[in-house]
Amino acid sequence: MGEGLCNASIHNDTNAPWNERRPPLIPPESPLTHALAIDTTSDVLSLALLKAGQPAGALYESCGHRAEQRLLGAVDDLLRGAGLRAGELDAVFVARGPGSFTGTRIGLAVALTFGQVHGLPVVGVDTLELLAAQVDPALGAPFHVLLNCARDEVYHAPYRWAAGELRAEAPIALAPLGAVVPALAGRAALVRRFAPEQPGLEPLLARLNAPPLRRAHPDGVLLLERGLARLKALGAQSPPRPAPIYLKSEAFRKWHRPA
Amino acid sequence: MTPPTAAAPLGLAFDTTFDDTSVALLRGRREVLANLTLSQYADHAEFGGVVPERASRKHLEVIHPLLERALATAGVGLGEVDYVAVSNLPGLLGSILVGLTVAKSLAYLLERPLIGVNHIEAHPYANFLEHGELPFPLVHLVAAGGHTLLIHQEEHFRWRIVGRSVDDAAGECVDKVAKLFGHAMPGGPAVDRAALEHAPGPYAFPRPMLAGPGLDFSFSGLKTALVYFRRDHPDAPEGPVLAAFFEAVAEVLVTKTLRAAQQLGVPAITVSGGLAASRRLRRAFEEASAAAGLRLYYPPPRLCTDNAAMVACLAAYRHAAGRHDGLGLEGFPNLPG
Repeated sequence: MGEGLCNASIHNDTNAPWNERRPPLIPPESPLTHALAIDTTSDVLSLALLKAGQPAGALYESCGHRAEQRLLGAVDDLLRGAGLRAGELDAVFVARGPGSFTGTRIGLAVALTFGQVHGLPVVGVDTLELLAAQVDPALGAPFHVLLNCARDEVYHAPYRWAAGELRAEAPIALAPLGAVVPALAGRAALVRRFAPEQPGLEPLLARLNAPPLRRAHPDGVLLLERGLARLKALGAQSPPRPAPIYLKSEAFRKWHRPA
Repeated sequence: MTPPTAAAPLGLAFDTTFDDTSVALLRGRREVLANLTLSQYADHAEFGGVVPERASRKHLEVIHPLLERALATAGVGLGEVDYVAVSNLPGLLGSILVGLTVAKSLAYLLERPLIGVNHIEAHPYANFLEHGELPFPLVHLVAAGGHTLLIHQEEHFRWRIVGRSVDDAAGECVDKVAKLFGHAMPGGPAVDRAALEHAPGPYAFPRPMLAGPGLDFSFSGLKTALVYFRRDHPDAPEGPVLAAFFEAVAEVLVTKTLRAAQQLGVPAITVSGGLAASRRLRRAFEEASAAAGLRLYYPPPRLCTDNAAMVACLAAYRHAAGRHDGLGLEGFPNLPG
């Protein structure tokens, strides 16, 4: 048991050119030297490392829902590959959901422990903001991002790029897909789905227009970018302790089943 | 990180297998420097039982502040910790994963060994904490919330389950019967009080699976007997009824534990788990073991319910024996086999 649970890597960006046509995702005047990004909110284990202000390795690996077995080994590989020790980090960025409840807790438990042991700021980033960050900033119009929850429900929120800044136009909400789609007529909408998928949703999803993307996956480098943006927005303030975003009652299975 | 000190090893242990978050720091095998447990009873009261997802959420909310407080209570720093232990089975998997992930992260960051502990194997170590080294072989009765087990232990790390409940655990049965009489979770204290203060009077309830040589338990029939009794006799006085009910529970537990010791030729028994906090049960065990000429080991009430000190104690023996785990350690909801 415990061997070979994770599939082969989907891609490993360690030596890939980050962006050929566009300005770099991570601005050269990055306020931090070294940072670790952790996202285990879906069935993908996504990590990235910032070294000397620039991305120095990333992992985006299909892992089922067993991230807790692979995570620390992968973090160790990443740190060793970059010649860094955990104690040299300046911050940890962590995706805080919504998404897989257990996965979200795993990522936060690791990030908060790194923060506690080494006295690091831990910066939480909403998972939907990561999806929104995939969208090309050249798209001036507001757009929507959707992420599957259980059965026919989706987490969703509107975002907009304005003057190079990504802004959420409303808080993240949870609703049946059938209620969300009609309201999105004429608006670009990015959909992310992870297992278990609901095949019955295809006709509704087919009615949505995909926005142009600058990045194919909501990966760790985008999490580094969003974490740095969050720190910049906070200025001299310390980031608050990140709390998970669930948006769903913990008693949904037995007591709060919708009629 | 600083190298380990020359003093007896310092263990840090977590238990998040069910609805209690517990962190302990143990010096050597017996010196409990901190043993802090946050109970979630109030958080689940509105549902009348533990909601697994709520338990997992609560564990994540409190585990880091609780660790901070445990370190302050013990007056030690994380750098002094020599090994990190955690219960990785059995229990609610979502809850186990919170403690397991924090423990793994600490082991990795502190560059210290990780020790995964079976929560059930750890319960009897409450007695090692209290009484020091015990003479093997032993028969343990573990009467915890979700489990009622008889364990035959020949030495450290060598044990097997020789009897278990085929349905409800005794503690579960006590909680449900207490609830029948309007008592909040956990129901044990209310039932124990009734059993101490009242005589059973004319009431008597079945002692399931007591006949024959078997070591397994069954408590769901006893619970059902109480449900029907309450329906048919709504005016029967609570105190004597609960006393009679607990007499049945205690007699079954005591008889089977002594039977296991006799069948296995073991001269000493231990009792542990939440139900071991019952004074009435303890009295029954003291009387019966004295009559049978068996040595009896009982933990103090604070070490009966789920706690990380017992996890740390078992881990201390594991650490001394070099039995460590890797960072790939998994969590499991069930006991193996």
